[in-house]
Amino acid sequence: MSGPILAFETSCDETGVAVVSGRRVLSNVLSSQVELHARFGGVVPEVAARSHVEAIRGLTHRALMEAGIHLNDLQAVAATQGPGLVGALLVGHSFAKALAWSRRLPFLGIDHMEGHLFSPRLEYPDFRPPAVALLASGGHTQLVHMRDWGDYRILGETIDDAAGEAFDKLARVMGLGFPGGPAIDRASESGDPASVRFPRALSRRRHHFSFSGLKTSVSTFLEKAARRGELPSREDVAASVQEAIVDVLVEKTLNAAEDTGVRVIGAGGGVLANRRLRTRLAEQADRRGLELYVPSPRLCVDNGAMIGAAAVYRLERGEVTSWGAGVDPGLRLGSV
Amino acid sequence: MKIVAITTSTPASSVALADGLTVVASAENVNARGHADFVVAALDFCMRTAKWSPDEIESVVVDVGPGLYTGIRVGVSVAQGIGASVGAQVAAASSLDALALRAATGRRRIFPVVDVRRGEVAIAGYSPLPGGVVRDHPVELTTPERLVAMLSTHRQETLLVGDIPALGKGALAGLRGVRVGRPRYPTAEALAEAGLGVLERGEAPHPDSVRPQYLRDADVNINWRRLRSRFYPPVDNG
Ligand SMILES: [Zn+2]
Repeated sequence: MSGPILAFETSCDETGVAVVSGRRVLSNVLSSQVELHARFGGVVPEVAARSHVEAIRGLTHRALMEAGIHLNDLQAVAATQGPGLVGALLVGHSFAKALAWSRRLPFLGIDHMEGHLFSPRLEYPDFRPPAVALLASGGHTQLVHMRDWGDYRILGETIDDAAGEAFDKLARVMGLGFPGGPAIDRASESGDPASVRFPRALSRRRHHFSFSGLKTSVSTFLEKAARRGELPSREDVAASVQEAIVDVLVEKTLNAAEDTGVRVIGAGGGVLANRRLRTRLAEQADRRGLELYVPSPRLCVDNGAMIGAAAVYRLERGEVTSWGAGVDPGLRLGSV
Repeated sequence: MKIVAITTSTPASSVALADGLTVVASAENVNARGHADFVVAALDFCMRTAKWSPDEIESVVVDVGPGLYTGIRVGVSVAQGIGASVGAQVAAASSLDALALRAATGRRRIFPVVDVRRGEVAIAGYSPLPGGVVRDHPVELTTPERLVAMLSTHRQETLLVGDIPALGKGALAGLRGVRVGRPRYPTAEALAEAGLGVLERGEAPHPDSVRPQYLRDADVNINWRRLRSRFYPPVDNG
Protein backbone atom coordinates (compact mmCIF):
# COMPACT_ATOMS: atom_id res chain seq x y z
CA MET A 1 0.00 0.00 0.00
CA SER A 2 1.45 3.32 -1.03
CA GLY A 3 1.52 6.51 1.02
CA PRO A 4 0.07 9.82 -0.08
CA ILE A 5 1.21 11.40 -3.34
CA LEU A 6 1.00 15.13 -3.99
CA ALA A 7 0.00 15.61 -7.62
CA PHE A 8 -0.10 18.64 -9.93
CA GLU A 9 -1.94 19.25 -13.19
CA THR A 10 -1.26 22.42 -15.19
CA SER A 11 -1.47 21.33 -18.82
CA CYS A 12 -4.14 23.84 -19.86
CA ASP A 13 -6.33 26.32 -18.00
CA GLU A 14 -7.02 24.54 -14.72
CA THR A 15 -4.49 24.58 -11.91
CA GLY A 16 -5.09 21.28 -10.13
CA VAL A 17 -3.43 20.04 -6.96
CA ALA A 18 -4.44 16.84 -5.19
CA VAL A 19 -3.36 14.37 -2.56
CA VAL A 20 -4.04 10.77 -3.51
CA SER A 21 -3.33 7.71 -1.40
CA GLY A 22 -3.78 4.43 -3.21
CA ARG A 23 -7.23 4.78 -4.73
CA ARG A 24 -8.36 7.33 -2.17
CA VAL A 25 -8.58 11.01 -3.06
CA LEU A 26 -7.70 12.90 0.13
CA SER A 27 -8.07 16.27 -1.55
CA ASN A 28 -8.52 17.57 -5.08
CA VAL A 29 -8.49 21.34 -5.43
CA LEU A 30 -8.87 23.29 -8.65
CA SER A 31 -8.39 26.90 -9.55
CA SER A 32 -10.30 27.28 -12.75
CA GLN A 33 -9.40 30.08 -15.13
CA VAL A 34 -12.67 29.78 -17.04
CA GLU A 35 -13.82 33.29 -16.24
CA LEU A 36 -10.40 34.68 -17.12
CA HIS A 37 -10.49 33.12 -20.59
CA ALA A 38 -14.23 33.56 -21.22
CA ARG A 39 -13.89 37.08 -22.57
CA PHE A 40 -11.28 35.92 -25.08
CA GLY A 41 -13.57 33.15 -26.30
CA GLY A 42 -10.89 30.52 -25.69
CA VAL A 43 -7.81 29.61 -23.69
CA VAL A 44 -4.93 32.05 -24.20
CA PRO A 45 -1.65 30.22 -23.47
CA GLU A 46 0.22 33.21 -22.01
CA VAL A 47 -2.72 34.12 -19.80
CA ALA A 48 -2.96 30.50 -18.63
CA ALA A 49 0.74 30.28 -17.77
CA ARG A 50 0.66 33.54 -15.80
CA SER A 51 -2.34 32.43 -13.87
CA HIS A 52 -0.79 29.06 -12.91
CA VAL A 53 2.16 30.88 -11.33
CA GLU A 54 -0.21 32.91 -9.20
CA ALA A 55 -2.34 30.00 -8.09
CA ILE A 56 0.00 27.11 -7.50
CA ARG A 57 1.57 27.94 -4.11
CA GLY A 58 -1.70 28.73 -2.38
CA LEU A 59 -3.46 25.73 -3.92
CA THR A 60 -0.70 23.42 -2.72
CA HIS A 61 -1.24 24.56 0.85
CA ARG A 62 -4.98 24.13 0.46
CA ALA A 63 -4.62 20.62 -0.96
CA LEU A 64 -2.37 19.55 1.91
CA MET A 65 -4.61 21.15 4.51
CA GLU A 66 -7.82 19.63 3.14
CA ALA A 67 -6.12 16.25 3.04
CA GLY A 68 -4.91 16.70 6.60
CA ILE A 69 -1.45 15.78 5.41
CA HIS A 70 1.92 17.23 6.28
CA LEU A 71 4.73 17.32 3.74
CA ASN A 72 6.55 14.80 5.96
CA ASP A 73 3.82 12.24 5.28
CA LEU A 74 4.24 12.31 1.49
CA GLN A 75 5.63 9.37 -0.38
CA ALA A 76 6.13 11.07 -3.74
CA VAL A 77 5.31 14.11 -5.86
CA ALA A 78 3.91 13.97 -9.40
CA ALA A 79 3.11 16.46 -12.14
CA THR A 80 1.79 16.39 -15.68
CA GLN A 81 4.65 16.10 -18.16
CA GLY A 82 2.52 16.50 -21.29
CA PRO A 83 0.71 16.80 -23.61
CA GLY A 84 -0.46 20.38 -23.21
CA LEU A 85 0.56 24.02 -23.45
CA VAL A 86 4.30 24.23 -22.86
CA GLY A 87 4.26 27.40 -20.75
CA ALA A 88 1.47 26.05 -18.57
CA LEU A 89 3.05 22.61 -18.17
CA LEU A 90 6.36 24.13 -17.11
CA VAL A 91 4.86 25.90 -14.09
CA GLY A 92 3.40 22.81 -12.41
CA HIS A 93 6.24 20.55 -13.46
CA SER A 94 8.96 22.92 -12.19
CA PHE A 95 7.18 23.66 -8.92
CA ALA A 96 6.51 19.97 -8.25
CA LYS A 97 9.99 18.83 -9.18
CA ALA A 98 11.60 21.46 -6.93
CA LEU A 99 9.29 20.56 -4.08
CA ALA A 100 10.09 16.85 -4.46
CA TRP A 101 13.80 17.48 -4.78
CA SER A 102 14.07 19.64 -1.68
CA ARG A 103 12.08 17.05 0.32
CA ARG A 104 14.18 14.19 -1.10
CA LEU A 105 11.01 12.58 -2.44
CA PRO A 106 10.71 10.66 -5.69
CA PHE A 107 9.27 12.73 -8.56
CA LEU A 108 7.11 11.38 -11.35
CA GLY A 109 6.34 13.12 -14.64
CA ILE A 110 2.94 11.79 -15.73
CA ASP A 111 1.23 11.58 -19.12
CA HIS A 112 -1.92 13.69 -18.88
CA MET A 113 -3.87 11.19 -20.98
CA GLU A 114 -2.84 8.31 -18.76
CA GLY A 115 -4.19 10.41 -15.89
CA HIS A 116 -7.59 10.45 -17.61
CA LEU A 117 -7.37 6.69 -18.14
CA PHE A 118 -6.80 6.15 -14.42
CA SER A 119 -9.46 8.54 -13.15
CA PRO A 120 -12.39 6.05 -13.26
CA ARG A 121 -10.42 3.86 -10.87
CA LEU A 122 -10.63 6.51 -8.18
CA GLU A 123 -14.37 5.89 -7.90
CA TYR A 124 -14.84 2.41 -9.29
CA PRO A 125 -12.60 -0.34 -7.86
CA ASP A 126 -13.89 -2.71 -10.56
CA PHE A 127 -12.67 -0.62 -13.45
CA ARG A 128 -9.74 -2.34 -15.08
CA PRO A 129 -8.40 -3.23 -18.52
CA PRO A 130 -8.88 -4.70 -21.03
CA ALA A 131 -11.04 -1.74 -21.90
CA VAL A 132 -11.56 1.03 -24.39
CA ALA A 133 -11.62 4.61 -23.21
CA LEU A 134 -13.16 7.71 -24.73
CA LEU A 135 -11.09 10.77 -23.81
CA ALA A 136 -12.68 14.00 -24.95
CA SER A 137 -11.98 17.59 -23.96
CA GLY A 138 -11.20 20.97 -25.46
CA GLY A 139 -7.65 19.84 -26.13
CA HIS A 140 -8.00 16.21 -27.12
CA THR A 141 -10.39 13.60 -28.47
CA GLN A 142 -9.13 10.03 -28.55
CA LEU A 143 -10.27 6.45 -28.39
CA VAL A 144 -7.75 4.34 -26.53
CA HIS A 145 -7.50 0.59 -26.34
CA MET A 146 -6.23 -0.20 -22.85
CA ARG A 147 -4.80 -3.68 -23.19
CA ASP A 148 -3.46 -3.49 -19.66
CA TRP A 149 -2.43 -0.75 -17.25
CA GLY A 150 0.48 0.92 -18.94
CA ASP A 151 -0.20 -0.79 -22.27
CA TYR A 152 -2.22 1.50 -24.51
CA ARG A 153 -2.91 1.87 -28.19
CA ILE A 154 -4.57 4.92 -29.69
CA LEU A 155 -7.33 3.51 -31.89
CA GLY A 156 -8.45 6.82 -33.27
CA GLU A 157 -8.46 10.52 -32.67
CA THR A 158 -9.77 13.70 -34.13
CA ILE A 159 -8.41 14.73 -37.50
CA ASP A 160 -9.40 18.37 -36.94
CA ASP A 161 -11.11 19.91 -33.90
CA ALA A 162 -11.31 18.30 -30.48
CA ALA A 163 -14.88 17.65 -29.33
CA GLY A 164 -14.63 20.41 -26.73
CA GLU A 165 -13.39 22.82 -29.39
CA ALA A 166 -16.37 21.90 -31.54
CA PHE A 167 -18.69 22.74 -28.63
CA ASP A 168 -16.87 26.07 -28.18
CA LYS A 169 -17.10 27.04 -31.84
CA LEU A 170 -20.74 26.00 -32.16
CA ALA A 171 -21.67 27.82 -28.97
CA ARG A 172 -20.15 30.92 -30.54
CA VAL A 173 -22.25 30.48 -33.70
CA MET A 174 -25.30 30.36 -31.43
CA GLY A 175 -24.19 33.28 -29.25
CA LEU A 176 -23.82 31.07 -26.20
CA GLY A 177 -20.36 32.18 -25.07
CA PHE A 178 -17.36 30.33 -23.67
CA PRO A 179 -16.90 27.62 -22.56
CA GLY A 180 -19.25 26.10 -25.11
CA GLY A 181 -19.80 22.65 -23.59
CA PRO A 182 -21.60 23.69 -20.40
CA ALA A 183 -23.44 26.48 -22.28
CA ILE A 184 -24.81 24.09 -24.90
CA ASP A 185 -25.62 21.52 -22.22
CA ARG A 186 -27.70 24.13 -20.35
CA ALA A 187 -29.41 25.54 -23.44
CA SER A 188 -30.28 22.03 -24.64
CA GLU A 189 -32.31 21.29 -21.53
CA SER A 190 -35.37 22.97 -23.00
CA GLY A 191 -34.62 22.14 -26.63
CA ASP A 192 -35.71 19.31 -28.90
CA PRO A 193 -32.73 17.22 -30.06
CA ALA A 194 -34.74 15.98 -33.05
CA SER A 195 -35.73 19.41 -34.32
CA VAL A 196 -32.86 19.71 -36.80
CA ARG A 197 -31.00 16.76 -38.24
CA PHE A 198 -27.36 17.83 -38.59
CA PRO A 199 -24.95 15.47 -40.36
CA ARG A 200 -23.12 12.93 -38.20
CA ALA A 201 -19.50 13.29 -39.20
CA LEU A 202 -18.73 9.59 -39.18
CA SER A 203 -15.46 9.93 -41.03
CA ARG A 204 -14.47 7.11 -43.30
CA ARG A 205 -11.82 6.02 -40.88
CA ARG A 206 -13.85 4.02 -38.41
CA HIS A 207 -12.21 5.15 -35.17
CA HIS A 208 -11.32 8.70 -36.11
CA PHE A 209 -13.29 11.87 -35.46
CA SER A 210 -13.93 14.97 -37.53
CA PHE A 211 -15.93 17.90 -36.20
CA SER A 212 -15.03 20.80 -38.46
CA GLY A 213 -17.72 19.97 -41.00
CA LEU A 214 -20.45 20.25 -38.39
CA LYS A 215 -19.68 23.91 -37.78
CA THR A 216 -20.03 24.63 -41.50
CA SER A 217 -23.34 22.80 -41.80
CA VAL A 218 -24.77 24.49 -38.70
CA SER A 219 -23.75 27.92 -40.02
CA THR A 220 -25.16 27.16 -43.45
CA PHE A 221 -28.40 25.88 -41.96
CA LEU A 222 -28.84 28.97 -39.76
CA GLU A 223 -28.02 31.23 -42.70
CA LYS A 224 -30.75 29.69 -44.86
CA ALA A 225 -33.26 29.51 -42.00
CA ALA A 226 -32.67 33.18 -41.16
CA ARG A 227 -33.15 34.16 -44.78
CA ARG A 228 -36.45 32.33 -44.86
CA GLY A 229 -37.38 33.94 -41.54
CA GLU A 230 -37.73 30.49 -39.97
CA LEU A 231 -34.94 30.55 -37.44
CA PRO A 232 -35.63 27.78 -34.91
CA SER A 233 -35.28 28.55 -31.22
CA ARG A 234 -31.72 28.64 -29.96
CA GLU A 235 -32.56 25.84 -27.53
CA ASP A 236 -33.70 23.56 -30.35
CA VAL A 237 -30.55 24.23 -32.35
CA ALA A 238 -28.36 23.70 -29.28
CA ALA A 239 -30.05 20.40 -28.47
CA SER A 240 -29.72 19.26 -32.09
CA VAL A 241 -26.07 20.25 -32.29
CA GLN A 242 -25.36 18.47 -29.02
CA GLU A 243 -27.15 15.38 -30.29
CA ALA A 244 -24.99 15.33 -33.42
CA ILE A 245 -21.76 15.46 -31.42
CA VAL A 246 -22.97 12.99 -28.80
CA ASP A 247 -24.14 10.53 -31.46
CA VAL A 248 -20.69 10.44 -33.01
CA LEU A 249 -18.87 10.06 -29.70
CA VAL A 250 -21.19 7.28 -28.54
CA GLU A 251 -21.23 5.36 -31.79
CA LYS A 252 -17.45 5.43 -32.22
CA THR A 253 -16.90 4.36 -28.64
CA LEU A 254 -19.19 1.37 -29.11
CA ASN A 255 -17.50 0.52 -32.41
CA ALA A 256 -14.18 0.53 -30.61
CA ALA A 257 -15.48 -1.81 -27.94
CA GLU A 258 -16.89 -4.13 -30.58
CA ASP A 259 -13.72 -4.18 -32.70
CA THR A 260 -11.42 -4.84 -29.76
CA GLY A 261 -13.78 -7.31 -28.16
CA VAL A 262 -13.59 -5.64 -24.74
CA ARG A 263 -16.51 -5.56 -22.32
CA VAL A 264 -15.36 -2.52 -20.36
CA ILE A 265 -15.58 1.16 -21.31
CA GLY A 266 -13.86 3.99 -19.48
CA ALA A 267 -14.05 7.69 -20.15
CA GLY A 268 -12.60 11.03 -19.18
CA GLY A 269 -12.04 14.63 -20.22
CA GLY A 270 -14.16 17.73 -19.74
CA VAL A 271 -16.63 16.81 -22.51
CA LEU A 272 -17.65 13.78 -20.42
CA ALA A 273 -19.26 16.23 -18.00
CA ASN A 274 -21.95 16.69 -20.69
CA ARG A 275 -25.15 15.21 -19.29
CA ARG A 276 -26.60 14.07 -22.58
CA LEU A 277 -23.37 12.24 -23.43
CA ARG A 278 -23.33 10.52 -20.04
CA THR A 279 -26.95 9.42 -20.41
CA ARG A 280 -26.57 8.18 -23.96
CA LEU A 281 -23.35 6.31 -23.20
CA ALA A 282 -25.04 4.64 -20.24
CA GLU A 283 -28.11 3.62 -22.30
CA GLN A 284 -26.06 2.19 -25.13
CA ALA A 285 -23.58 0.37 -22.91
CA ASP A 286 -26.47 -1.10 -20.97
CA ARG A 287 -28.22 -2.25 -24.13
CA ARG A 288 -25.10 -4.13 -25.21
CA GLY A 289 -24.25 -5.48 -21.79
CA LEU A 290 -21.02 -3.50 -21.52
CA GLU A 291 -19.62 -2.17 -18.25
CA LEU A 292 -19.30 1.61 -18.34
CA TYR A 293 -17.23 3.67 -15.93
CA VAL A 294 -17.55 7.43 -16.27
CA PRO A 295 -16.08 9.41 -13.36
CA SER A 296 -18.09 12.16 -11.74
CA PRO A 297 -17.69 15.50 -13.52
CA ARG A 298 -15.02 16.86 -11.16
CA LEU A 299 -12.83 13.89 -12.00
CA CYS A 300 -13.61 14.16 -15.73
CA VAL A 301 -12.25 17.67 -16.10
CA ASP A 302 -8.49 18.12 -15.85
CA ASN A 303 -7.55 17.71 -12.19
CA GLY A 304 -4.67 16.75 -9.93
CA ALA A 305 -6.24 13.57 -8.57
CA MET A 306 -6.10 11.80 -11.94
CA ILE A 307 -2.39 12.58 -12.18
CA GLY A 308 -2.01 11.21 -8.66
CA ALA A 309 -3.88 8.03 -9.63
CA ALA A 310 -1.54 7.36 -12.54
CA ALA A 311 1.44 8.24 -10.33
CA VAL A 312 0.41 5.63 -7.74
CA TYR A 313 0.63 3.01 -10.48
CA ARG A 314 3.92 4.30 -11.89
CA LEU A 315 5.47 4.48 -8.43
CA GLU A 316 4.39 0.92 -7.60
CA ARG A 317 6.29 -0.18 -10.67
CA GLY A 318 9.37 1.51 -9.27
CA GLU A 319 9.44 4.29 -11.84
CA VAL A 320 11.00 7.64 -10.97
CA THR A 321 11.60 10.67 -13.20
CA SER A 322 15.06 12.24 -13.17
CA TRP A 323 15.70 15.81 -12.01
CA GLY A 324 16.87 16.61 -15.52
CA ALA A 325 13.59 15.69 -17.19
CA GLY A 326 11.58 18.49 -18.78
CA VAL A 327 8.05 18.66 -20.09
CA ASP A 328 6.82 17.24 -23.39
CA PRO A 329 3.97 19.27 -24.93
CA GLY A 330 3.57 16.72 -27.73
CA LEU A 331 3.65 13.59 -25.57
CA ARG A 332 1.62 10.72 -27.01
CA LEU A 333 0.18 7.78 -25.08
CA GLY A 334 2.27 4.69 -25.40
CA SER A 335 5.41 6.59 -26.40
CA VAL A 336 6.90 6.86 -22.88
CA MET B 1 22.97 32.42 5.75
CA LYS B 2 22.61 29.57 3.27
CA ILE B 3 21.23 30.93 0.02
CA VAL B 4 20.15 29.31 -3.24
CA ALA B 5 20.11 31.65 -6.22
CA ILE B 6 18.41 30.92 -9.52
CA THR B 7 18.35 32.87 -12.76
CA THR B 8 16.53 31.72 -15.90
CA SER B 9 15.46 35.00 -17.46
CA THR B 10 17.86 34.81 -20.40
CA PRO B 11 19.13 31.96 -22.59
CA ALA B 12 21.58 31.28 -19.74
CA SER B 13 20.31 29.25 -16.81
CA SER B 14 22.43 29.60 -13.72
CA VAL B 15 22.19 28.40 -10.13
CA ALA B 16 24.46 29.06 -7.17
CA LEU B 17 24.74 28.14 -3.51
CA ALA B 18 26.12 30.90 -1.35
CA ASP B 19 26.85 31.20 2.32
CA GLY B 20 26.46 34.93 2.76
CA LEU B 21 28.78 36.42 0.18
CA THR B 22 30.79 33.24 -0.27
CA VAL B 23 29.74 31.19 -3.27
CA VAL B 24 30.26 27.51 -2.50
CA ALA B 25 28.99 26.00 -5.75
CA SER B 26 27.51 27.15 -9.02
CA ALA B 27 26.55 25.85 -12.44
CA GLU B 28 25.55 27.47 -15.70
CA ASN B 29 24.12 26.39 -19.03
CA VAL B 30 23.26 28.40 -22.13
CA ASN B 31 20.18 27.08 -23.92
CA ALA B 32 17.14 29.28 -24.41
CA ARG B 33 14.84 26.25 -24.24
CA GLY B 34 16.72 24.32 -21.59
CA HIS B 35 15.77 26.09 -18.35
CA ALA B 36 13.47 23.39 -17.03
CA ASP B 37 15.82 20.51 -17.82
CA PHE B 38 18.71 22.26 -16.15
CA VAL B 39 17.72 24.02 -12.95
CA VAL B 40 16.78 21.27 -10.50
CA ALA B 41 19.41 18.86 -11.84
CA ALA B 42 22.02 21.62 -11.42
CA LEU B 43 20.84 22.40 -7.89
CA ASP B 44 21.16 18.72 -7.06
CA PHE B 45 24.69 18.67 -8.46
CA CYS B 46 25.67 21.82 -6.54
CA MET B 47 24.26 20.44 -3.29
CA ARG B 48 26.36 17.31 -3.64
CA THR B 49 29.44 19.37 -4.47
CA ALA B 50 28.94 21.65 -1.48
CA LYS B 51 27.79 18.77 0.76
CA TRP B 52 24.70 20.74 1.66
CA SER B 53 21.29 19.28 2.21
CA PRO B 54 18.14 20.97 0.84
CA ASP B 55 16.61 21.31 4.30
CA GLU B 56 19.47 23.62 5.29
CA ILE B 57 18.38 26.20 2.71
CA GLU B 58 17.36 29.38 4.50
CA SER B 59 16.72 31.64 1.54
CA VAL B 60 16.02 31.44 -2.17
CA VAL B 61 16.78 34.40 -4.42
CA VAL B 62 15.14 34.19 -7.80
CA ASP B 63 15.49 36.31 -10.91
CA VAL B 64 11.99 37.63 -11.65
CA GLY B 65 13.12 39.35 -14.83
CA PRO B 66 12.83 41.26 -16.96
CA GLY B 67 13.57 38.65 -19.61
CA LEU B 68 12.10 35.57 -21.26
CA TYR B 69 8.67 34.87 -19.80
CA THR B 70 8.79 31.10 -19.97
CA GLY B 71 12.27 30.98 -18.47
CA ILE B 72 11.35 33.36 -15.65
CA ARG B 73 8.31 31.24 -14.81
CA VAL B 74 10.49 28.14 -14.53
CA GLY B 75 12.81 29.91 -12.08
CA VAL B 76 9.99 31.41 -10.03
CA SER B 77 8.16 28.05 -9.91
CA VAL B 78 11.30 26.25 -8.74
CA ALA B 79 11.92 28.92 -6.10
CA GLN B 80 8.33 28.74 -4.90
CA GLY B 81 8.52 24.95 -4.83
CA ILE B 82 11.61 25.02 -2.63
CA GLY B 83 10.10 27.74 -0.46
CA ALA B 84 6.88 25.79 0.06
CA SER B 85 8.82 22.62 0.76
CA VAL B 86 11.52 23.62 3.24
CA GLY B 87 10.03 26.87 4.49
CA ALA B 88 12.85 29.00 3.12
CA GLN B 89 12.15 32.69 2.54
CA VAL B 90 11.88 33.59 -1.15
CA ALA B 91 13.18 36.89 -2.43
CA ALA B 92 12.92 38.44 -5.87
CA ALA B 93 15.90 40.01 -7.60
CA SER B 94 16.27 41.71 -10.96
CA SER B 95 18.17 40.40 -13.95
CA LEU B 96 19.25 43.98 -14.67
CA ASP B 97 20.61 44.46 -11.12
CA ALA B 98 22.61 41.23 -11.41
CA LEU B 99 24.09 42.40 -14.73
CA ALA B 100 24.97 45.87 -13.41
CA LEU B 101 26.65 44.40 -10.32
CA ARG B 102 29.12 42.52 -12.49
CA ALA B 103 29.80 45.33 -14.96
CA ALA B 104 33.46 46.23 -14.63
CA THR B 105 33.77 49.99 -14.50
CA GLY B 106 34.86 52.58 -12.00
CA ARG B 107 33.19 55.63 -13.42
CA ARG B 108 30.99 54.95 -16.41
CA ARG B 109 27.22 54.97 -16.19
CA ILE B 110 25.99 51.39 -16.63
CA PHE B 111 23.07 50.36 -18.82
CA PRO B 112 22.34 46.62 -18.76
CA VAL B 113 20.29 45.22 -21.65
CA VAL B 114 18.04 42.18 -21.48
CA ASP B 115 16.23 40.74 -24.49
CA VAL B 116 12.48 40.51 -23.98
CA ARG B 117 11.75 39.51 -27.61
CA ARG B 118 9.38 41.04 -30.16
CA GLY B 119 11.91 43.67 -31.04
CA GLU B 120 12.18 45.09 -27.55
CA VAL B 121 14.77 45.09 -24.79
CA ALA B 122 14.54 45.96 -21.10
CA ILE B 123 17.04 48.42 -19.69
CA ALA B 124 17.79 50.33 -16.50
CA GLY B 125 20.53 52.81 -15.57
CA TYR B 126 23.08 52.45 -12.76
CA SER B 127 25.93 54.48 -11.32
CA PRO B 128 28.94 52.71 -9.90
CA LEU B 129 29.69 53.12 -6.20
CA PRO B 130 32.60 51.72 -4.23
CA GLY B 131 31.64 48.06 -3.77
CA GLY B 132 28.44 48.17 -5.80
CA VAL B 133 26.05 50.04 -8.01
CA VAL B 134 22.95 52.13 -7.48
CA ARG B 135 20.03 52.19 -9.86
CA ASP B 136 19.23 55.73 -10.99
CA HIS B 137 17.18 55.14 -14.12
CA PRO B 138 14.03 53.01 -13.82
CA VAL B 139 13.45 49.71 -15.58
CA GLU B 140 11.82 50.30 -18.93
CA LEU B 141 11.06 48.61 -22.20
CA THR B 142 12.57 50.15 -25.26
CA THR B 143 13.53 49.38 -28.82
CA PRO B 144 17.13 49.29 -30.05
CA GLU B 145 16.41 52.48 -32.04
CA ARG B 146 15.06 54.38 -29.03
CA LEU B 147 17.93 53.15 -26.86
CA VAL B 148 20.47 54.44 -29.37
CA ALA B 149 18.63 57.77 -29.59
CA MET B 150 18.70 58.08 -25.81
CA LEU B 151 22.39 57.18 -25.55
CA SER B 152 23.33 59.67 -28.27
CA THR B 153 22.00 62.55 -26.14
CA HIS B 154 23.89 61.31 -23.08
CA ARG B 155 26.90 63.39 -22.12
CA GLN B 156 28.16 60.88 -19.56
CA GLU B 157 30.48 58.05 -20.56
CA THR B 158 28.42 54.90 -20.69
CA LEU B 159 29.02 51.17 -20.41
CA LEU B 160 26.48 48.89 -22.02
CA VAL B 161 26.39 45.33 -20.71
CA GLY B 162 24.04 42.40 -21.21
CA ASP B 163 22.63 40.96 -24.40
CA ILE B 164 24.10 43.47 -26.85
CA PRO B 165 23.67 41.14 -29.85
CA ALA B 166 19.91 41.36 -29.19
CA LEU B 167 20.10 45.00 -30.33
CA GLY B 168 20.98 43.85 -33.82
CA LYS B 169 24.13 44.03 -35.89
CA GLY B 170 25.76 47.45 -35.99
CA ALA B 171 23.03 49.00 -33.83
CA LEU B 172 25.57 50.98 -31.82
CA ALA B 173 27.71 52.14 -34.75
CA GLY B 174 28.74 55.78 -34.51
CA LEU B 175 27.75 56.27 -30.86
CA ARG B 176 30.29 58.31 -28.95
CA GLY B 177 31.33 57.72 -25.37
CA VAL B 178 29.60 54.34 -25.27
CA ARG B 179 31.56 51.21 -24.56
CA VAL B 180 30.27 47.67 -24.64
CA GLY B 181 31.26 45.20 -21.97
CA ARG B 182 30.48 42.00 -20.17
CA PRO B 183 28.71 40.08 -18.77
CA ARG B 184 26.25 39.12 -21.48
CA TYR B 185 23.90 37.21 -19.14
CA PRO B 186 23.13 37.53 -15.44
CA THR B 187 24.67 34.87 -13.19
CA ALA B 188 23.19 33.33 -10.08
CA GLU B 189 26.29 34.39 -8.14
CA ALA B 190 25.59 38.03 -8.89
CA LEU B 191 21.92 37.50 -8.16
CA ALA B 192 22.72 36.06 -4.73
CA GLU B 193 24.75 39.17 -4.03
CA ALA B 194 21.96 41.43 -5.27
CA GLY B 195 19.46 39.71 -2.99
CA LEU B 196 21.66 39.40 0.07
CA GLY B 197 20.84 42.79 1.55
CA VAL B 198 17.08 42.19 1.59
CA LEU B 199 17.53 38.72 3.03
CA GLU B 200 19.93 39.73 5.79
CA ARG B 201 17.62 42.53 6.83
CA GLY B 202 14.83 39.97 6.98
CA GLU B 203 12.85 41.99 4.46
CA ALA B 204 11.88 39.20 2.10
CA PRO B 205 8.23 39.74 1.19
CA HIS B 206 5.42 37.21 1.41
CA PRO B 207 6.20 34.50 -1.15
CA ASP B 208 2.99 35.26 -3.07
CA SER B 209 4.37 38.66 -3.95
CA VAL B 210 7.36 37.10 -5.70
CA ARG B 211 6.06 37.24 -9.25
CA PRO B 212 7.58 37.44 -12.71
CA GLN B 213 8.19 41.00 -13.87
CA TYR B 214 6.54 40.92 -17.28
CA LEU B 215 6.51 44.66 -18.12
CA ARG B 216 3.91 43.87 -20.80
CA ASP B 217 0.36 42.58 -20.65
CA ALA B 218 -0.22 39.23 -22.27
CA ASP B 219 -1.14 40.41 -25.74
CA VAL B 220 -4.47 39.00 -26.61
CA ASN B 221 -6.16 40.13 -29.74
CA ILE B 222 -9.83 39.72 -29.19
CA ASN B 223 -11.83 39.62 -32.36
CA TRP B 224 -15.13 40.63 -30.80
CA ARG B 225 -16.99 40.19 -34.07
CA ARG B 226 -15.87 36.59 -34.21
CA LEU B 227 -17.29 36.04 -30.73
CA ARG B 228 -20.76 37.26 -31.65
CA SER B 229 -23.48 35.21 -33.23
CA ARG B 230 -25.02 36.50 -36.43
CA PHE B 231 -28.23 34.67 -35.61
CA TYR B 232 -28.95 34.98 -31.89
CA PRO B 233 -28.36 37.66 -29.27
CA PRO B 234 -25.66 36.95 -26.67
CA VAL B 235 -26.62 35.26 -23.41
CA ASP B 236 -25.23 35.86 -19.97
CA ASN B 237 -23.48 32.75 -18.81
CA GLY B 238 -23.09 33.91 -15.24
ZN1 LIG C 1 -7.48 16.51 -20.30
